[in-house]
Amino acid sequence: MGAARSYAVIDPATGKLDRRIFTDEAVYADEMEKIFGRAWLMIGHESLVPAPDDFFHTYMGQDPVILTRDGAGRLHALLNMCRHRGNRVVRCDDGNQKRFMCTYHGWTYRNDGTLEHVPGESEAYYSALDKSALGLVAARVESYAGIVFATWDRDAPSLEAYLGDARWYLDTVFNRCDGGMQALGPMKWLEPVNWKTLVDNCSDNYHVPTSHLSSARVQTRWLGRPPLSHEDQFQSPNKHAFVNGHAITFREALDNAPRYMHGMSQETMRLFQDYHDATMPEAERRLGALRARRVQLANHSIFPNGILGFRLALPRGPRQTEFWHFVLLERDAPEELKRIIRIGSQANNGAAGLFEQDDVDNWRQVTEASTSPFARRQPQDLSMGLGHAGPHPDYPGLVSERYISENNQRLFYRRWQEFMNADSWADIALDPISARFDGIATMRG
Amino acid sequence: MAPEMSAQALWFELMQFYIREAWLLDERKFTEWLDLFTDDILYFMPRRKNVLRRELHREVTPLGDLAILEEDKRYLAMRVARLDSGMAWAEDPPSRTRHLVGNLEVTPLATGEVKARTAFLVYRSHLETDSQLLSGCRDDVLRNIDGAWRIARRTILLDANVLLDKNLSVFL
Ligand code: FES
Ligand SMILES: [Fe+2]
Repeated sequence: MGAARSYAVIDPATGKLDRRIFTDEAVYADEMEKIFGRAWLMIGHESLVPAPDDFFHTYMGQDPVILTRDGAGRLHALLNMCRHRGNRVVRCDDGNQKRFMCTYHGWTYRNDGTLEHVPGESEAYYSALDKSALGLVAARVESYAGIVFATWDRDAPSLEAYLGDARWYLDTVFNRCDGGMQALGPMKWLEPVNWKTLVDNCSDNYHVPTSHLSSARVQTRWLGRPPLSHEDQFQSPNKHAFVNGHAITFREALDNAPRYMHGMSQETMRLFQDYHDATMPEAERRLGALRARRVQLANHSIFPNGILGFRLALPRGPRQTEFWHFVLLERDAPEELKRIIRIGSQANNGAAGLFEQDDVDNWRQVTEASTSPFARRQPQDLSMGLGHAGPHPDYPGLVSERYISENNQRLFYRRWQEFMNADSWADIALDPISARFDGIATMRG
Repeated sequence: MAPEMSAQALWFELMQFYIREAWLLDERKFTEWLDLFTDDILYFMPRRKNVLRRELHREVTPLGDLAILEEDKRYLAMRVARLDSGMAWAEDPPSRTRHLVGNLEVTPLATGEVKARTAFLVYRSHLETDSQLLSGCRDDVLRNIDGAWRIARRTILLDANVLLDKNLSVFL
């Protein structure tokens, strides 16, 4: 396996996708090296480790990683594996510690990864152990507007180049206000699905009026949520855009209405609108008028496994994925509004989410279709909107004509294939940053 | 609550209440189940974190943090109502459940309400071979309204960090 293997899984002319990539053990093992071993992976948020010596336990794909803030305030992503035999040095979800002591033989590391103490160093090891070469393995870490990313690959481009023009859209949510965002969560659960099914679903607005109609209807009746219909979606002026593997869907807002958020209802709409209006000067200053007023990021995924904003799809084998559901709130928003968004988000998404609970059996059966001998020979059909996407005068990336399209899905699997066929980052193309980033918002927030 | 009721009689009455609730859930009589809650119900399921023993006060996430469920009557009613739409796919076809509820401890409160703590094991079987055993406890506050017990507050603590079920579409 490995470098010798060559993948041709998506036919760009027809949109036919070889479904064996969802359950094949060898493909999965290859993904862990070539995608999760190389890409910038979303691992946490700076607000989860606000104080010196805070840590938050997370994952880069399957690898357990400790996100730490050392005493000087610097962030580190450290493989949670004692360099002696490999025991984990952290077993808690989060906390505040200057040191991590391995519970097996007592090797002790500082929270910057340095190996500080080895029991019996002079006696048992005859002072021959090179402690400086046995610190916790560290990944490269960079942040975007408070969201922390890490990569194992020293040759990976900067996070800024990796996000590329996708950030032009992402900024409209994650970089909209001066005070930044705070993360709550995660709630975690295991789904019997391949990780890619739910990443590609992030651009699948087509499923919403079928998969989620029952919850949408009761929310129309009880909360005054606008009715959801196929017709509205097909006529919608909103679009898909695709950059560097990141799949964006966005609303072209010509009506000065706030971006759709969970928690919106007839009775809360005023609060959302007031907040939108009150923060518009700030948003324009940060993002420029076009992005602040007209571009509203909707469902999206960040390659490879960031889903619907700051949420994670952590692979746990070809047929299992651990979901991490977080809610991000604008730190300086009114407390009442934050409460409404939090409650709306946790009611609609998450394991018990009114919307999200209806997704899993679909993805599960899409995954399972790759396991039975006759079904696995039939490709997936991703032909929707073929030939109806391209460059756009106002919007960066490859942009679809319609909101309901499989443009992003085709491109996601093409990007997947590009990573899988690459020997190194030298073989992975990056779209140049060409969008105009008006306003003062930067990578740092 | 009638003040003259003995501790034993109260315990017996509440145990019957919980057994009836379990049957309502397992027989999928969700509208009747919903009637067991007061209009000001808070139906709360916090997350549970791995923390060191000396930090156990941080184990359960407080109200105000991201929860698994933090529902009022209206949200519970939406969950029940959607089941009748014919399109609530997580539960259509429906799960087979068995709620076993026990270990009841009753503490009358000065307000006239009663704190009732129970432990549960809930078995869920779904579609062909999916199954899950959910274990946890409920911390309830019960209020007697016109002679009938109603749940005014329910806090559910699941014995899990990463939930092992594909979704949480059954009621606990
Ligand atoms: S495995 Fe960690 S000290 Fe031995
Ligand atoms: Fe969905």
